[in-house]
Amino acid sequence: MDKLKENKIVEDLFPQKFGKQGTIWVISLSIICAIGLFAYGRQLYYGLEVTAMRDYVSWGIYISNFVFFVAISLVGSLITAVLRLTDVKWSTPLTRIAEIIAVSAITFASLIIIVDMGRPERFYNLFLHGRLQSPIIWDVIVITTYFIISLLLLYFPLLPDLKILIAFKERNGKWLQKLYVFLGSFWKNKPEQFKITDKAINILAIAIIPVAFSIHTVTSWLFATTYRPGWDSTNFGAYFISGAFLVGAGGVVVAMYVFRKHYKLEKYITEDHFDRMGKVLVMLALLYLYFNVNEFLVPAFKMKKSEEEHLLGLFTGEFAPIFWFAIFTAMFIPIFILLFKKGRKPLPAFIAGVLVVVGSWFKRFLIVTPTLLHPFLPMHDVPANYHHYIPTWEEWAIAGGSLAGALLVITFFARIFPIIPIHETILETESHENEKHF
Amino acid sequence: MKMKNIFKTVLFLLGFIPTFLNAQAVEKKILVLGVKYYNDNNISQHLIIQAKSKIDGKFQKIGNIPVKVFINNENDKNNFIGTGTTTERGELLLLVPASAKTEWSKSNNQTFVATSTATTLYDEARGELAITKAKLKIDTIDGKMVHAKLLVLIDSTWKPMVGIEMVLTVKRLGGNLNISETATYTTDTAGAVTGEFKRENLPGDNKGNLVLVANVIDNDIYGNLSAETTVPWGSKLIYSTNYNHRSLFARRGHSPFWLEFLAYGIILAVWVVIIYLVLQIKKIVKLGLE
Repeated sequence: MDKLKENKIVEDLFPQKFGKQGTIWVISLSIICAIGLFAYGRQLYYGLEVTAMRDYVSWGIYISNFVFFVAISLVGSLITAVLRLTDVKWSTPLTRIAEIIAVSAITFASLIIIVDMGRPERFYNLFLHGRLQSPIIWDVIVITTYFIISLLLLYFPLLPDLKILIAFKERNGKWLQKLYVFLGSFWKNKPEQFKITDKAINILAIAIIPVAFSIHTVTSWLFATTYRPGWDSTNFGAYFISGAFLVGAGGVVVAMYVFRKHYKLEKYITEDHFDRMGKVLVMLALLYLYFNVNEFLVPAFKMKKSEEEHLLGLFTGEFAPIFWFAIFTAMFIPIFILLFKKGRKPLPAFIAGVLVVVGSWFKRFLIVTPTLLHPFLPMHDVPANYHHYIPTWEEWAIAGGSLAGALLVITFFARIFPIIPIHETILETESHENEKHF
Repeated sequence: MKMKNIFKTVLFLLGFIPTFLNAQAVEKKILVLGVKYYNDNNISQHLIIQAKSKIDGKFQKIGNIPVKVFINNENDKNNFIGTGTTTERGELLLLVPASAKTEWSKSNNQTFVATSTATTLYDEARGELAITKAKLKIDTIDGKMVHAKLLVLIDSTWKPMVGIEMVLTVKRLGGNLNISETATYTTDTAGAVTGEFKRENLPGDNKGNLVLVANVIDNDIYGNLSAETTVPWGSKLIYSTNYNHRSLFARRGHSPFWLEFLAYGIILAVWVVIIYLVLQIKKIVKLGLE
């Protein structure tokens, strides 16, 4: 490949400064984060009393957010590992997007768990006195492991790109140059280095799949090992994993569209990518729908007395509007949009992706809260507000702040590092040209 | 015409005023006070005052009723033995205090009087219970035979009383269990009953001790009497705990071996891979510096 084409790729994919839109975006997210921090300050000062969580609903939107973050983080393993191991070449431009979504989501999953604690300064007790028999400890271990593996999976493919970035010293500015040098000055494009990196990425791609499955299965077991209506299910592991793949893929489609549009990456994130990711989304939505049918139809068919109130609450009662909203926005409508070729064009696919992500957040809320409002023993002699859960502004602000924080991490990453791997793109373009040549 | 109609309507409504005013005066209900006497193992005595009222055709227990209790004469403040308010279950438990000893010693027959003043819902009430002083004794004879005797104070002498029903039980899990299939016993001419203890291998304390109880229950003349004695007829309680056992529900550091093996095995396997990969970075760095 000639130098001109290579330079063009580098130029196109080189991290860009925030424009006017980018600055507004960053300021908006920072304000949301600041409000969240203020609300958390109030929570620290006054205690969990500022939330609407009480004796029965002790897991509110913080834990819904946690499950959502863990779910969306699984996309790293789907796009990077599963597609890499199955030798799917078209996913190359999407790998880094998927990995940074995974890293930022898992970071905020860990943070939101601490937020949910009434006395976060006692967090260390979890390590000092935690029981190996408890799924909470499994979750702590597996989240830490997944975070490290995701970081490594982000870092290894970044090494060749760092060498390219370091070459543009004047363009980078002092701090960025220092960062690039610190992270990758030792990369010399030596064949031995490539050999080690390729091997490491392959090992990571294999290792991350069971860890990713564990992280969300263990999260599902936090619920399923508790004997309560709506959680007492053997289907929960698979149900959570399928839902996680769906929301993760939806998140990637949304990010693809935003980056493509903002950084003008139409040449690299093509309509073909949206078409393929659209098909992946349909498959995952159908899979998740299948597990939803299993999760709700079988208990509804039996309608055990102890579960009746919970199930009717979801189907026709207090939570019915959210339940049907989540089912339609996370599954039916995206399937309907993406089944058609025109629906897999960038804009409709983006809309479908947004619907999946939004619907999936509410789905996580429905997994956590309604069950807590329907204990086996009836609620007696409790204040009226114990029978309902309406999050306070502090909870919304903190949850919103954490979501904005995750988006900020992704935004700053895209500002500092190439969101599409430069080196791999050059190699793939070269290989395409060679194929054409022969 | 219109004014005439309004006038008629006002007159019609005024007609209801007396009915409305009458409705304001709530009719107070009749309150019944019941008194029960208990002699506990000849050591202490207590009374239970029960407040009841007929609501919807049924007697219901009434709580929050202030009650004063006297011995023999409610008009003499020296005979006042206590006061209190009935609980939600309509009961007031009152220990007979040492201050009542002088009055208690005056006669073989005693009357306990409970009074309550009128409240917003209930009329004033009075209840009384007359009892004759009696006591129960319990002992064992010939192996596992339980022997109880009822004595009544007549002319300053304790004399046996014939034909009184009582039960012989053993304390078990917060209740009383009959010592055999015989539900009740009747005192003979010596005022005694004898029953065979047939509860073999009943768990006792760590020395195998059981508490035998003889009870006269709700007797019209003597009230409720009880006597207890401890016998080593039970099986010894051997304390065992699974606190230190390894199980899924045990404390930290006591998880089952299979779980520890599995969990630590998996953690180790994954972290060995991670450490290996971190070492590969070191290798890449070294190659770059060569």
